[in-house]
Amino acid sequence: MKKSRVGLLVAAALWLFPLHAWAQGKAPAEGDAAAEGSAEEGAEGAEGAGEEGAAPAEGDAAADTGDGLADICKIDPAACPNLDMDKEAARQFKEPLYAVQQVYALRARRFEIFPYWATTLNDQFVSHPGFGGSVNYYITNVLYAGLDGIYYEPFNQIKDFNAQVRRAARVAVPLVEYQWAAALHLGYVPAYGKFAAFGDLIFHYDAYVLGGVGVLSARPIPVIDPDNRTFTYEPELAFTAALGIRVFVSRWFGITGELRDYIFQERRENLTIAPNPGDQSTWVGDTALVNNIQLQVGASIFIPFSFDYRLPK
Amino acid sequence: MTTKHRNILTRLLAAALFGSALVTLAPPAQAQEIQLTGPLAGAPATRKLRLHREGRFELAPTVTFTLLDEYQRTIILGARLGYNFTDWLGLGLYAGYGGLLQLPTSLAEQIQEQNQIRITAATPPPASNALNTERRLTAVNLGPDFEEQLGGIDWILSPQVTAIPLRGKLALFQSIYMDTDLFAFAGPAFVGLTERADCTDCVSDNVTPFPMTSRVAITASFGLGFNFYINQWAAVSWEYRFLPLSWNRGGFDTSGGGKDEEFPDNQISSADRQFEFKQLMSLSFVVNLPSKTRISE
Repeated sequence: MKKSRVGLLVAAALWLFPLHAWAQGKAPAEGDAAAEGSAEEGAEGAEGAGEEGAAPAEGDAAADTGDGLADICKIDPAACPNLDMDKEAARQFKEPLYAVQQVYALRARRFEIFPYWATTLNDQFVSHPGFGGSVNYYITNVLYAGLDGIYYEPFNQIKDFNAQVRRAARVAVPLVEYQWAAALHLGYVPAYGKFAAFGDLIFHYDAYVLGGVGVLSARPIPVIDPDNRTFTYEPELAFTAALGIRVFVSRWFGITGELRDYIFQERRENLTIAPNPGDQSTWVGDTALVNNIQLQVGASIFIPFSFDYRLPK
Repeated sequence: MTTKHRNILTRLLAAALFGSALVTLAPPAQAQEIQLTGPLAGAPATRKLRLHREGRFELAPTVTFTLLDEYQRTIILGARLGYNFTDWLGLGLYAGYGGLLQLPTSLAEQIQEQNQIRITAATPPPASNALNTERRLTAVNLGPDFEEQLGGIDWILSPQVTAIPLRGKLALFQSIYMDTDLFAFAGPAFVGLTERADCTDCVSDNVTPFPMTSRVAITASFGLGFNFYINQWAAVSWEYRFLPLSWNRGGFDTSGGGKDEEFPDNQISSADRQFEFKQLMSLSFVVNLPSKTRISE
C-alpha cells in the first residue's frame, strides 16, 4: 500500500515535471524581443546571437554567471576573466560571410531547353521577328555547349518607311529577308546573383555570354527590278554572339532574355539593271557584312528537374 | 471493496499516471516544433541591407544614344538628378542636350550622294535627261544638302518618378561582388526638336538650304534600368528609355494629300510627321549623396 502511494506520488511528480520544462521554454517572455533578435542575428550568421539569446535570462542567469565567475576567480585568479563588457559589445565581428552562399539552381550536367520569340533591334528597313529555340548542355556549372535555331520566313515585315524613301528621294534601299538560322555555340556564365522584390520575395538570376558559328539562310527582296528578278534563299556562313540574363522562377524553370547578334555576309540586289534584265548573273550586286541583332525572350526549362548539392548548405 | 482490490486499483492508477506522465514528457518536443519552423519564422526576407537610395540625392552624368535611327544618330549628353524618399521610390529629372553630336546614317549619306549627282547634272539646267527629271521629281524633298534638312533631337527634359522594385547583389567571376537594383521610371517629357519648316512653295533652287524650325514636343518618357553599386557613394547605371514622338525625321513630304491624306501634297506640314517609339540607351556614372549608406534593421 505504502509502495503504491509512493508510486502514485512519483508518477504525479513526473506528470508535473514536463509542464515545468515547457514553462521554462516559454520563460524569456519579457525578453521575447531579445530572443527574436538572437534569431535574426542568426540569420546573418552573427556569433553574438547566442549571447543575446542568453540575455533575456537577465537577473537569474546573470547572477549565476556572476557566481560562476567568482568561483573561477577564487580557485585560480590568473584565469579570472577580465572583460570590459561594453567594449566587447561594440566589437566588430569579422566572421566569414558568403555573398552568395549556395547556388539556387545548379546547372552542371543538366540540359536546358530555351524556346523563345525574337524581335529585330537594328534593321529599320525589314524587321525579322522569328520563333526559335536553343538546347544547351551544361558541362560544368558555368560552361555549356548548345545548338540554336530560329525560323524567320513567315514573319519578315517590310517597313512603310522604304516606300516613303523611294518615293520622296528616289533612292532604293536594297532589302533582304531571312528564312532560318542555326548555330552551334559555347557559353559561359560569369555572373549570378539574387534580387529581393520590395525586400520580400527573393529570386535568383544569372547572366551569360556565348559565341558560336552556324548558317543563316537569306535572300534579297527585289525592289529595283521586281518584274524580272526573283531570288532564292541561300545559306550564308554566320557567326553568332550573345549575352543574356535568366531569372529563376523555380530550380528548373526560368524566364530568359537574350541579346543575340548573327554576323554574316549579306547578298544584296544589284542597284543597276543590266541591258539583258533576264540574266540572273547580273541580279546580285554588292555583299555587305551585316549584324542582325535581335532580342530573344523565352522560357528556360532545365532537365532533369531536380538535382543534388554536392556539399551541405 | 477488499484491501486486495484497493491495492490493485491503486497500482493501476499509479501505472496510468506514470504512463500519462511519460506521454506528457512530449511537451519539449513541442518546443522543438517551434525550432523546426525556425527562429527565422516571421523574420523579414532580407536584413541588414545597405540602403543605397533611401534619403539620398543622386547626381548622374549621363551619355545617351538614340537607337534605330533612319537618317541621323544623336548622342545626348546630360544628367539625371533625383532624390529617393525610400529605397524603392524616388523623384527625379532627366535632362540632356543632343545638339552637339548628331551623326548621319549611311542611308542619309547614300541619299545625299545621289542628290549631289543629280544637282551637279542639273546645274546649270541642261536639256532634259534622266538625272534632271529625277532632280525635278525630288525638288520638294531634297535641298542642296540632305544632311542639313534632317530632323534632330536638340534637348530632352523629363521629370520622372522612379520605382525600384528589385534590389540584390551580383557575383561576377566568383570574385567581384556588387549591390544592384533594377528601377523603372516614367514621367512627362519635353523634347526640343529641329525640323524642316512648314512651307507651301517648297521647291528647292539647288542652292539655298531648306529653312528649319524648332519646336517643343510634349510627350511621355518611360523605361527601366540597372544600377551597379561600386561603393557606398558611386554606381554605374544602364537604362533603356522609350520616347513616343511624332516628327518629320527626313524633311520629306510624305502625307497630306490624296485619300486619307496618305499621299504627298507638295507641301511640308504637320501631316508629314511620322510617329515612332524613339528608343534611347543611356550609360551613367551615379554619385549618391550623402556619401555614406545606412544599414537597414
